[in-house]
Amino acid sequence: MQHAIEVRGLTKAFGNVRALDGVDLTAPAGSVLGVLGPNGAGKTTAVRVLSTLTVPDGGTARVLGLDVVAQAGEVRHRIGLTGQYAGLDHDLTGEQNLVLLARMLGASRAQAKARAAELLERFDLVHAASRAAGKYSGGMRRRLDLAASIVRRPEVLFLDEPTTGLDPKSRNGLWDVVRDLVAEGTTVLLTTQYLEEADQLADSIAVIDAGRVIASGAPTELKQMVGGLVLRMRPVRPEAMTQLADLANWTIGARAKLEEGEAIVPVAHAGEATAVMSRVTQAGIDLVSFGLDEPTLDEVFLTLTGHRAESATEEEVTA
Amino acid sequence: MTTTTWTTRRGTLAQSASMAARSLASIKNNPATLIEFFMIPLMILLSITFFMGGQMMGSWQDFLQYAGPTIIVMGLFFAIPSTGLSLFADLKSGVFDRLTAMPVSRFALLGGRVGADMVKHTWALLVVGGVAFAIGYRADGGVLGVLAAVGVVLLFMFSVSWSMVLVGLTAKTEDQIQTWMIALLMPLSYTSTAFIEVETLPGAIQWLAEINPLTALSETVRDLLNGDAPGGYFLALLGWCAGAVAVFVPLSLRAYRRKLTN
Ligand SMILES: Nc1ncnc2c1ncn2[C@@H]1O[C@H](COP(=O)(O)OP(=O)(O)O)[C@@H](O)[C@H]1O
Ligand SMILES: [Mg+2]
Repeated sequence: MQHAIEVRGLTKAFGNVRALDGVDLTAPAGSVLGVLGPNGAGKTTAVRVLSTLTVPDGGTARVLGLDVVAQAGEVRHRIGLTGQYAGLDHDLTGEQNLVLLARMLGASRAQAKARAAELLERFDLVHAASRAAGKYSGGMRRRLDLAASIVRRPEVLFLDEPTTGLDPKSRNGLWDVVRDLVAEGTTVLLTTQYLEEADQLADSIAVIDAGRVIASGAPTELKQMVGGLVLRMRPVRPEAMTQLADLANWTIGARAKLEEGEAIVPVAHAGEATAVMSRVTQAGIDLVSFGLDEPTLDEVFLTLTGHRAESATEEEVTA
Repeated sequence: MTTTTWTTRRGTLAQSASMAARSLASIKNNPATLIEFFMIPLMILLSITFFMGGQMMGSWQDFLQYAGPTIIVMGLFFAIPSTGLSLFADLKSGVFDRLTAMPVSRFALLGGRVGADMVKHTWALLVVGGVAFAIGYRADGGVLGVLAAVGVVLLFMFSVSWSMVLVGLTAKTEDQIQTWMIALLMPLSYTSTAFIEVETLPGAIQWLAEINPLTALSETVRDLLNGDAPGGYFLALLGWCAGAVAVFVPLSLRAYRRKLTN
C-alpha cells in the first residue's frame, strides 16, 4: 500500500542549527500521525518541508507519492495547511478570508460564497462571518484557520500545533473537528507539545527531539515502553485485600501490590484487567472503586529523552 | 460536505486581481483609510504652492501653473515604498505561507500587491489633481493631454513599484526598507527636473539630471499637459519603464523562490 506521507532521512539546517537531523516518518492513507516534541524540536520545519514551504537539504519527502521538491506544484493541489501561526488576513472578515482562498483556488464568485457559508456553518462561525478575523477570540481564529485549510478539501492535512494556547473547551471543540475530517478520509499530520493531544487523536506517534525521531509507534506501544497498565481495586472490606491478590495471581499470574487499602495489579493490556475483574465479580467481592491507569506520555518522554517535555507555552501563540 | 472541484480556470491575471481585491478589501471595511492615500501628496502640493510658490515665481498661481503637475508626481512617487512595506508585512503575516502552499501563481501573489497599490495611486492622483484644478490649475493640452499624462504617470508608478517588490522580499527589517527609500528617492528627485531646470545644476550633475528617469517623467508630463507632442524624453521614459519591469519582475520572482529554500 502506498503511504500518504513518507519521509526518509530528512535533513535541514539553519546555520549551525540542525532543525531536522535525519527524520523518518510514515503515515498510511486515512490515518493520523502525531508528531510530538518540545519547543525547537523541528516540528514546524518538518511541516514546512512537507507542505512545500521549505526546501530540505537532504533526504526525501513524499506526500501521496509525490516528491515535495520535484513535484511541489502537484503536491500543493492536494494538501491543506494550518500553520503554527494563523494564516489569516486580520483585516478581512471571516467570510472574506474564506472567499479569497476559494477564489484563488478557482471557484467562481458564487461558488466561493457558497463554500464560505458552508464552512462558517460547519465551524460554528456564522455569527462572526462579517467580523474582522483580527477581532476573533483564540478559539474562533483557530477554527477559521482550520476552515481556511480545507476550503478545497485536501487529501492530506497538516496541522502545526493546532491547539497551543487554547482553553480546554476550545481544544475539545477543535479535536472534534479534526476527528470529523479524519472520518471523511483525510490523512492528518498533526504536531503537538501536548502529550494528551497526540494520545487522543493520533493512530501513531513519532516523538521528536532536536531534529531526530527518538521513538515511534502506536500510542499504546509508546506507553508500554515505560511499562504496561495498572489495575487499581479498592475493596469495601479491607480484609478482602489478600483475596484480591490471590485472584489476580490465579487468573493472570500477576503479583499484586497492596498499599493504602488498594490492590494494585500490573497488567499487560486491558483484556487481562477485564479477566481479573470478572473473577472478582464472580467471587462476590464488593469494590468501592476500581480503575485502569495508563502511564502518561509525559512519562514516556522522560524515559526516552532523560528530560521532561517543556510544557506548552502561551508565548508561542501570536494574537 | 460538497465535493469541491472547481473547474473554473482562473489564470494568473485573475488571481492577481483577487489578491489586489483582498488588499483593497480592508478599505471597504474601514473607508477612512481612503483619506490616508492622498494626504501626503496633497499636503506636499498645497504647502509648496502656498508657502514657497509666491517667493519662487512672484505669485503662487504662476507657480502652480508651472510646477503643480511635477510636484504632484513627486508626492505620488514618495508613496512607492508603501508597496515594499505592505509586502513585507504580508510575508510575515502567515497569509502568504498559506497561499504559497496552495496551487497559486507566484506572480499573482506579488502582482496583486502592485495592482492594489496602483488603485491607491490612481485614487490619490485623481484627488490631488482635482484639488489642483479646483484652485486654478489649467492644462493647455485639455482633457486628452491630462488623460495621457495620467496614463504616463501610472505606467511609471507601476514599473518602479516592482523595484519595491524586490526590496520588500529581500529586506530583513522594515527600517531597512525605509532607509533604502530615502537613499534612493532623495537623490533621484533632487537631480531631476521636477522642481528645477537643468541649467541651474553643477556640470557633472547636469549629466545625471539628463538621464534621470524622473526627468524623463517630468518632461513628458509637462509636454503632454501643455499639449506639445512628447519627444525624446517620452522614449527614454518608455525605456526606463520597460527596463524596470524586465529587471525587477524576474528578480522578484527569483527572490520569492529563494525565500522558499530557506
Ligand atoms: N528560519 C529559521 N532560521 C533559523 N533557525 C530556524 C528557522 N526555523 C527554525 N529554526 C531553528 O530550528 C530549530 C527547529 O525549529 P522548529 O522547526 O520551529 O521547531 P518546533 O516547531 O518543534 O518548535 C529551532 O532551533 C529553531 O530555532
Ligand atoms: Mg513550531
